[in-house]
Amino acid sequence: MPELSVDQFQSLSQVIYQKLGLHFDEKKIYFLKTRVAKRMAALRMDDPREYLFLLTYADPQGLEMQALANLVTTNETYMFREYDQLQAFANHCLPEVLSAKQARGERTLRIWCAGCSSGEEAYTLAMILQEVFPQAQNWDCEIAATDIDENMLRKVRAARYGQRSVNEVPDEYREKYLVEEGHEYVVRRRTTALVTPFHLNLHDRMAMRAMRGFDFIFCRNVLIYFDDLSRKAVVDHFYNALNRGGYVFLGHSESIGRVTTAFKLKRFETHLVYVKE
Amino acid sequence: MSSLKEYLEKFDCGDETERVYAAEDIGYLNTAEGVPALVERVERESSPAVRDAIFQALIRIDGDTAAEGAIRLLASDDPQIRNQAVDVLRRKGAQSVPFLNTVMREGDKDLRKLVLDVLSGLQSGETGEIYQAALSDRDPNVVITAVENLGRMRAGEFRGRIEDLLLADSHPMLVAACLEALVGIGNPASLGAIRRRFPELATLPDFLLASSLKAVAALGSEREFAEVASLLPVRGPHLRPAILSALMAIYPRCARSTGGGDLVAVLQALVEDGDPPMCRYQAVRVMGFWADSDDVCAFLVSCLSSPERLVRLGAAESLRMGTRPDLEPVLEARARDESDEEVLQALGS
Repeated sequence: MPELSVDQFQSLSQVIYQKLGLHFDEKKIYFLKTRVAKRMAALRMDDPREYLFLLTYADPQGLEMQALANLVTTNETYMFREYDQLQAFANHCLPEVLSAKQARGERTLRIWCAGCSSGEEAYTLAMILQEVFPQAQNWDCEIAATDIDENMLRKVRAARYGQRSVNEVPDEYREKYLVEEGHEYVVRRRTTALVTPFHLNLHDRMAMRAMRGFDFIFCRNVLIYFDDLSRKAVVDHFYNALNRGGYVFLGHSESIGRVTTAFKLKRFETHLVYVKE
Repeated sequence: MSSLKEYLEKFDCGDETERVYAAEDIGYLNTAEGVPALVERVERESSPAVRDAIFQALIRIDGDTAAEGAIRLLASDDPQIRNQAVDVLRRKGAQSVPFLNTVMREGDKDLRKLVLDVLSGLQSGETGEIYQAALSDRDPNVVITAVENLGRMRAGEFRGRIEDLLLADSHPMLVAACLEALVGIGNPASLGAIRRRFPELATLPDFLLASSLKAVAALGSEREFAEVASLLPVRGPHLRPAILSALMAIYPRCARSTGGGDLVAVLQALVEDGDPPMCRYQAVRVMGFWADSDDVCAFLVSCLSSPERLVRLGAAESLRMGTRPDLEPVLEARARDESDEEVLQALGS
């Protein structure tokens, strides 16, 4: 069976970028090649050109793109995932927003973790916030952790995680913010107190309109599972939910620029982030 | 329940979010009467967020009126509005086609080109008439866009027309577009047309060679393999990826005895000379066709120690193309020193 050639790989990464907003550079050639081979075998296709054509022009409902997305993305969630992006948040965006607020005499900070799953990201943000901004305890800080799945929200409320979830937590954070209980780790109360879990369907436009006044929105690796129109609608809601000067974070390889023109791209050293000006 | 009038009044509100909601609500109201106001508003709206919401509303509103409204916006002076109107019309699908047909007949060359931009993202069987007209258009940009679309859509029914254009036309961009279209829809006769137009690849200017190589990669066989291989040492480094891609694609259609010899030496030099890593990867992959030969196999094994990850990856994949029974212990030994997960997978560990 002919394998994906270099130029077909380039076309494929372009299509994936256009449709899912995920960027695959040339280091990922083998990764994509093996995933495409799996999909082609499942579809009984033997020519990568056929597969590329299917993805590009013969998949109006996006079903094949979704099947490929399931192979090239991971549902796994763990604390301190996509550390680079968190560094941009901790070192640049958060201090910038906090000093602007201090200058205005404001003492509230609101972060929205949209599609929070079992809560690892929300608690990561809570730990970073306490670490970077110890005064957080004297401010009105809230991390709204929302998900459509009540089972996931129960896990957020329990704040109890297995080893896989905490593997990437730096030691100094682990000691300060987590308590080991048998084979599990429990998030300390002062950290869980910052997180408010509640049910929200990102497709519910009236409920989405109630989400206002946020300084940061994190919605990482969630929108790739939405179709174009829904993704656009959700990102528009994020825009409305943010205060001016607020930031939105999608997954590190997801792009917002192709979904909406409303946000401005901002660079902090090597990090690119999207801000509502 | 709020009325359209109420939503329209909110368009004059100073709060951007309220205007976004107004546009969104009109979209969900899904009434044709909302379209004229949306179209009129978008031209004078300064907020990109509100504009985005207006276009989303046009997408949500069913019926011909929204498609007609988007057609009107194709004539906007603002390129962003034109692009977003193109997107709306694509999403309207077949519903847009009658309106696009009219624009193709009556619009100026810029509008005719935009019609084809809409069609480039549209799966509709009713576009044949538009493409027939576009291929005979007096504006070369319109013809080029039509050819590009037809190639991408694999519209084999237009193969003959495209071959005719390739043979008859002198516009270099159109010739390149025809070559690239034939990559997707060509057949052996198309290769004949390409060779009639360009009997010798070696004399082609760079930009036409790049397109010709894609077509030859898709359609060529033994004769083309030798000819393409001969380009490798003499054409500029920027053409190497296209040449190597073509060799990879053509070889499986050649006899097993094809190539090797001088070509291997050229490929070996490419792997070693520190070209961009992807080019080195391609060269090492082409060498896989001769992985059973002692010299090539030894070279590929040495590549497994390269500091460049893509070279190691390519070497592992290429060695796996061979059938040498003595190779397994070598690959296993190498795997013990390899830390990259994907190279390890390619080594078969």
